Formats: sequence, C-alpha cells, structure tokens
Amino acid sequence: MSLPAHISLILDLTPVPWAALSRASPPLALRSFLAQALVFLHAHLALRNENSVSVFGALPGRSVGLYPPVSRGSRDRGAEEGADENTFHVFQQVDEGLMRRVEEEVAGLEEVEEDAPPALVGALTKSLCYINRLANPPPPLNPTDAPPPAPHARIVLFSVSPDASVAYIPFMNCIFSAQKLKVPIDVCKIDDSEVIFLHQASDLTGGAFVHVDQREALLQYLSMCFLSETETRKTLAVPTQDKVDFRAACFCHKEIVDIGYVCSVCLSIFCKPVAQCSTCHTNFSPDTLVRFGGVGMNGHGASNGTTA
Amino acid sequence: MSGTSQPDQLPPIHSFLTTRPQTTLSRLYARPSACLAVFRLLDDVARQIVMSLLWLDSKTGVDLTAWVSPSETARKHYTAAVLGLVRLHIAKEGSGRILILPAFQAGLRRALTGGGEHRSFGVPYLTAGGKDQMTTEQLDDYALERWESILHFMVSSGSSIGRVPPPSNAVIYLLRRSGLMASIGGERNPDSRITSQGFQFLLEDSHTQLWDLLLQYLAMSEDQGRDLVEVIGFLFMLGSMQLGQEYSTENLSDTQKVMLQDFLDYGLIYRRDPEDHTRFYPTRLATTLTSTSSLAFTSSKHEKAASSEGFIILETNYRLYAYTENPLQIAVLNLFITLHSRFENLVVGRLTRESIKGALANGITADQIISYLTVHAHPMMHKNNPILPVTVQDQIRLWELENNRLQSDNGYLYEDFNSQGDFDLVLSYAKQLDVVLWESREKRKMFVREDGHENVREFIRRRAEAS
Amino acid sequence: MKAYKGALLTCDAAVKQILLMMDESEKFIIQDLDDTHLIVQMDQLERVQRMLEVELEKNTYSLDPQ
Repeated sequence: MSLPAHISLILDLTPVPWAALSRASPPLALRSFLAQALVFLHAHLALRNENSVSVFGALPGRSVGLYPPVSRGSRDRGAEEGADENTFHVFQQVDEGLMRRVEEEVAGLEEVEEDAPPALVGALTKSLCYINRLANPPPPLNPTDAPPPAPHARIVLFSVSPDASVAYIPFMNCIFSAQKLKVPIDVCKIDDSEVIFLHQASDLTGGAFVHVDQREALLQYLSMCFLSETETRKTLAVPTQDKVDFRAACFCHKEIVDIGYVCSVCLSIFCKPVAQCSTCHTNFSPDTLVRFGGVGMNGHGASNGTTA
Repeated sequence: MSGTSQPDQLPPIHSFLTTRPQTTLSRLYARPSACLAVFRLLDDVARQIVMSLLWLDSKTGVDLTAWVSPSETARKHYTAAVLGLVRLHIAKEGSGRILILPAFQAGLRRALTGGGEHRSFGVPYLTAGGKDQMTTEQLDDYALERWESILHFMVSSGSSIGRVPPPSNAVIYLLRRSGLMASIGGERNPDSRITSQGFQFLLEDSHTQLWDLLLQYLAMSEDQGRDLVEVIGFLFMLGSMQLGQEYSTENLSDTQKVMLQDFLDYGLIYRRDPEDHTRFYPTRLATTLTSTSSLAFTSSKHEKAASSEGFIILETNYRLYAYTENPLQIAVLNLFITLHSRFENLVVGRLTRESIKGALANGITADQIISYLTVHAHPMMHKNNPILPVTVQDQIRLWELENNRLQSDNGYLYEDFNSQGDFDLVLSYAKQLDVVLWESREKRKMFVREDGHENVREFIRRRAEAS
Repeated sequence: MKAYKGALLTCDAAVKQILLMMDESEKFIIQDLDDTHLIVQMDQLERVQRMLEVELEKNTYSLDPQ
C-alpha cells in the first residue's frame, strides 16, 4: 500500500491583493477562498486515514503557522465546541483550528504593515522545517520498534501577490532545500501578476503550476490538479508550466535581469560588472572589467548599462 | 482480466458491494459517512478520478483520457480504476466520458463540506466532566483482548482451556457459518474444530481478518432479513468515529442496536457499564475499519509493546526463536513448528518435515507459512536479504511439492484412430475446447478431460456419419 | 477408434517406477503412456495414492533427533 501523504498549505494572506480580488470580476473574497481551501484539505484527509496537513500563512512582513495549533497539550476542541454528528471528526478539528487562527491573524494586522511584501520565504521555510521534522521523527523509545514510515510530503502554495525580488536569494535557497527533501512545490496562482520565481519553484521541484483563469471554479482546479499524490501523478498527469522563465535577480539591486554578470568564484549574480564580488570579496582583474564595458576601480558602474 | 496485479483487486467489502443491486447502493450512498468510507477504500487512481469529477455539474460526463499519462501501465491502471467505479455504481461510463452518479456525488459532497442533518457520523454522548473518560490505551487493551480471545478459541480448536474465556455463542455461530470452524458431530454439539480455511485465516493480518469476519456477518445479516443498508451503513459509521469519544445510541435503528450487541463480542465496541445501553465507545478495531492499511491498528504504541510486530528469528538450520509470551502467537506458531522449549519471553522450536507436513495437511500452504514468518520477522532479521534464509524457504516449498508428486485427472483415453489425418482433426478440435491433458502423435493417442468427453465423442460421431 | 475411461496420473519418473513396482503385486495400471504419464483404474486411485504415500515415507529420513 502507498505511504501516507502530507500537504503543507501556504496561504498568501496579504490584505491589499485580497481586497482587490474581492472587487474583481469574478470576485473571490478571502472568506470564500478559505472555505474552498478547507474543502480541499478535507478531500486530502479523506483520501487516507493517515494523511495529515499543515497550514502556514504569509502576512506582510511576517509569517505564521496556522495549523496544527502550537499548543498541542490543550485538547479543548471537543469540550468547547461539542462534537458534531454531521461532520467527520477529523475535518472538524481542522476547520475550527484553522478558521480561528486566520481570523485572529488578519484582524491583528496593523495598517503600517500592509505595504510590506508577504513573507513567503518565512512561510516556506517554516513549512520545510515542519516537513523535515515529520521525515525525521525522534527515535522511538524502544529501539526494536521500526520508526513509522515518513509521509510523502508536498507543498501547495497559493499566491496572490507579484514576486518580491528582494527575497530572491533566500527564496532560491528554499527551493534548493525543497529539492533536497524531495518535496514538490505546487503553485496555485490566483491573481494575474507575474511570478517568475514561483515558476522556477514548481519547475525545479517537479510540482504543478496552475494559473486559475476562472476563479469561480477554484475548487475544481484544486481537486483536479492539486489533490493527486506523487504516485497517482504517474497515471493521471497534472498541468505544469511549459514555458518557464529562468531569469534571475541580481544580488546588488535585487532586480530581475536578462543578462547578468556572474562571479567566477561563488556564482553570485550582478546586473553590472563590479570590481569586487560583494559575496566572496574576490577582486576581478581590471582587464576583464574593461572588456565588459569599463568600470572604475572604485566599483561604481559606468552609465552604459548592460541590461537589455 | 489483464495480468496486472493490483488495479483489479477491489477490497473485499467492495467486491461484496458490487454484487448488490444498484438500488441498495443508492440508498447506502445517501449516508455521507458511507460515501466517505467507500471512497477511502478505493485505490489511488480511482479516488483521484472521483475527486476530479466531484464538483462538476456536467450532465454528460467528462472525458478524462487526455489526463492519462501516455504509457501502457498508466492506461491499464486508469481503465481498471474506471471499471471498479462503474461496478460500484459510483460512476457510469459511456463513449469515454465518465459521469459520477448523483447519489454518490451528493453524499460525498455532503461528507466533505460537512453540515446537514443526516447524523451519519455518530451522535456523541456528551458527558459533564471529561474526567471519567476512557483512555485510548484502555480501549486498545479491551479490543485486543476480545479479538485475541476469538483467535485463541480458534487456534485451540474449540477447547476452551487456558486463560482466555471462550467467545460468546454468537461468535461461535458466525465462525461455524463462515466455514472457519466446523462442529464436531451434530449442529447442536457445542464443540467445534478449526477447518483448513480457519488455519489460513489465522495467518492473515488483523485488518484482513476483521473484514473477513465482518463480510460473513453481512452475509448472515442478509439471510436473517436485516436491511443491508442499515448494517453496512452502521459499519461505515463506526469506521468514521473518533477513538476515545463516547457515542450515544439515541439515533440508532433497532437493527443497529442489535448489531451493537454483536460487535461487543468482537471487541469493536466497548460499553463502560454493561447495563447502560444508551452509550458506547468504538475501539481502534472499529475506527480503523476504513483505513486502507492495518498500519493504524498496529501503530498503536500499546499493541506494539504487547505483541511487538517482529519477534521471530529463523536460522539456516531451521531453528526458530520467537520472542513472545503471547499465548495466541505461540499457538499459531505451533501450527507449523515443533516447539522444543519455552522460557519467560522466548519460545524455541524447529521447522521439521513433520511439522510442515502437519500444517500442509491442515490446508495451510507453504506460501502462507513463509509470508507469516516474513511479516513477523524480528527487526534483526531485516538486515538479511532476503529476510528468511533461502534454504529454509526452498525446503518448505519442496515439502509442499512432495505432496503433489502425483497428480490425477479423470477422463478418457482415445486410441486406435484410423489415420493420422483423423487423429489430427480430432486433436485440433479437442484442443480448441481446451480439454486435452496428454497427447502423443506417434502413438495416436490422447487423453481428454471428463467434461470434454461428450463434445469430442459427438464430434467423432458426426464426422463418421458425414463420411 | 476406441475410448477408455480412466484416470490420468501425472508424476515424475521416480514415482512412476514405484507405481510400476506396486502394479506387479496388484494390477491397476491400464496403460503406460510415457515416462511421466500412466492411465489407471479410477476406482483404484485412492488405494494407489495411499500406498504410494507409505512407500515414499519409507524413503525419507528425519534430521530431528527428538
């Protein structure tokens, strides 16, 4: 029998794009999005008894873990709300825990924070850490016991904001960690902004990339493209991006470049030739710099830009 | 059917469901918990197909073939999955388009979104204080004890000696009815002995055993004129309950209350106060009914301590060391090994020709013995590849083959054909029927199976008349 | 053309030799087809199988000292 699966959901909860989306046509309010995401989680949990989920939120400037609840000790769900005879008990736990946390976090946002880009990297890192912990459980007390099999984990990332090129380096590091952990990153793009880093994330980790064209059918997208497990994908394919934009952002100004200059020692990327690598402090030979279009020895680029 | 192994195999409960009429299944699917349970027991691809179609409101169905990966195995897997769905009346297929039938669609949607007033997930019994709740360990203890008492009863062939009290008459009746045990003497005689089917049953894992027995229970309930939908619906309701939560019987039908009493005997249900019929706890046996593996049941920490999964060490000299003090496991081992000595936590025995022959005579196959030893091999054995010594495996198989040195088939020998042409013609006809067991062109003789004799004789007579 | 009713025994060559030997004391073989096939009387089948079992048991030696 196949192994249990774990889905780590990353929600972009930035208020500004959500406000825009709720006015767009067709509209998609955060509340209705969350409801559909919950049904998606239910469906995943329904697949197998041993399946599990975790949810992380990316807010402007910070990231939070939304589910599972941090304080595991307090088993308050049953006593507080009263179990419901019309809902599968597993679903109920997720529903209550998640909805409450999202509301708390969104309500707790302050006006000033709203301009900052969402802390996707933070959420991604937390999610990868969580998955890593699942994959490497503490050794059982009784050494003769075989440890429980590690679940197949994958990340499903919902994005509503454009790329934040400032976070290019940490973001790529996340992708590489995911590659190493063999965790596919599925990307569900809900708004229409450009996200070349997310393209790369799904392409490099072997995940699906879906741009939701018809937002009113979000749930259909979710259950058709994002629910199938790694094993199942061998039989029923999932859509990927056929054209992937592999452009990188430069390390000096965090801008996406078409042609970059790469340090021959540490592979850092610059948008202009520089005299010294800012990462590894290698001094480049002045001849080379002249050949690339002439840069003063003080490291300031000349005005003849090289980006096309 | 195609030669691929897994896709065709439906879980036993599904094979049972496919033999029921569509109206029964439609009524069953009106319960969201039943839809969820049936859905969970499907295989991966079938589940994904259902999920892909669940939220579509198309009346004509959808062609999913474009999503299928362009490989031979993927296509086979897909076709098998669709066939399974059609046989379960979950979906129907026409000219490549698949449509989820409304009954199942509505049920599963309801299960996933929650809400409604179907109360098919069990009505929790609300206690004032959480103090006097049963812990999951207590429930596991109870379930394990009940279940092992049944198995132990079987393995000790009905003699209720030993520490374990015999199971109730209802359980014994079910065991006899399912052919796992047979009564000695008349039907009224309380003594039973285990059958070869029963021996095979003992070597299965507990999840399979439970379903085997429950399927027999379903068949029995049907014979007794109970409503199958109520019975299966209740099973699936139990499967979706939460371990450690107490449930109320207020919403149960009379049939289901009777079942509750029966399941008490199997260890699926626990009642804290035997006299209080208004509430019950499901045990782990019940709550893992709908999980696709026995993983959930065996991963219980407590059970591991009690009957640690791997405890058998088998050496190349046929000696077997079993680190267990569980009387059931010792009794099962006793089916096919000769026990020599017994210590506090260790049993030493040996696989011998006699012990294996004895097991074979009981209807246990060599493969079952090997798979039992493999599944229960001690973690230290897992360092070996293969886990069991090859010599021992081969010898067990060879001993089995010894029994099959002589094979006999009844039938008719045809000889003295007039010409080679005659012989060839008759032979080719008999071969088409696939009834030839032996032939020799040189001797112009062939041996035809008993059931093919009529046809072949008729063929020869017609030819004789025609010429 | 003729047809006889009987049981087809499929066995290995060694077993066939034992069967031939047994046949000398009490006839039950109708026809000897080839190295691994015999036709015998159907009503004798059970007795033959039992006798063969006894014969084969004589030729096995148990390693177990106890």
